[in-house]
Amino acid sequence: MPELEPGAPTDLELMLGIQAEDPEALAQLYDRYNGIIKALILRVIHNEAEADDLLQEIFMEIWNQAKNFSAQKGKPLGWMVTLARRRAIDGLRKKQAYARAEERLQQETEQQPDAWVHNATEEEIAIGDTRVLIRRVISVLPPAQQQAIELAFFRGMSQREIAANTNTPLGTVKTRLELGLKKIYDGLKELRDEL
Amino acid sequence: MNFERFQNQARLFVIGALDAEEISEFEKARRKFGQKAEDFIAKCYTLSEAFALSLKPAKASDQIKARLMEMVRDRKKA
Repeated sequence: MPELEPGAPTDLELMLGIQAEDPEALAQLYDRYNGIIKALILRVIHNEAEADDLLQEIFMEIWNQAKNFSAQKGKPLGWMVTLARRRAIDGLRKKQAYARAEERLQQETEQQPDAWVHNATEEEIAIGDTRVLIRRVISVLPPAQQQAIELAFFRGMSQREIAANTNTPLGTVKTRLELGLKKIYDGLKELRDEL
Repeated sequence: MNFERFQNQARLFVIGALDAEEISEFEKARRKFGQKAEDFIAKCYTLSEAFALSLKPAKASDQIKARLMEMVRDRKKA
């Protein structure tokens, strides 16, 4: 999570600014989160130029759809990530790159089954970076649970698609997703309590 | 559906992993549990946030922000 300077507006204040059609609020939100949103898009579509185009479209959609954001339903970042993920997965499918991405995914998973967590060094963990702390929570999961969640979240695959792609019974996929997500949810809760 | 089962389904729902045939049952339970359900779903969005935050931020082209702000200004003028 980007560290805020003292006096900087909160994400919620920026969302309220965007709802009031203040372009400066959007500019600040962009500065704060463009790197995270682009990383998410890239994880889905694996194409730098398309990721930049989508990033722009997504922030334009944030501007256009801000009136639909409600703080009662969650935090601004969760709302933005949900919107960005949906757009990235739509983009992937529209460009008919799905088959190629699946092929790449298969190669990636064969080469690096735990790619989500492989590069958290001791030094990074010592720094206490949010990203590393989150990865540490995720890394506790068995690789099969991590893979199921990765395929669902970053590839937009349904449980049936995950089952077919991994040659795993549907019931096993459901169990892996449910157990994995619960462990991460509980781990994040503990992390928040510690911070 | 009991609330524990609803919680499991809610976590799947926020990451878009509920199958189509599960969604209607989930929505039914969501109505049944009311505000308690909405509060739990809101908390579950921390999962989406965490998955995005688990990635190393990527550098966007410098032109994107300029183009975005130009589009926003044009939209405001229209």
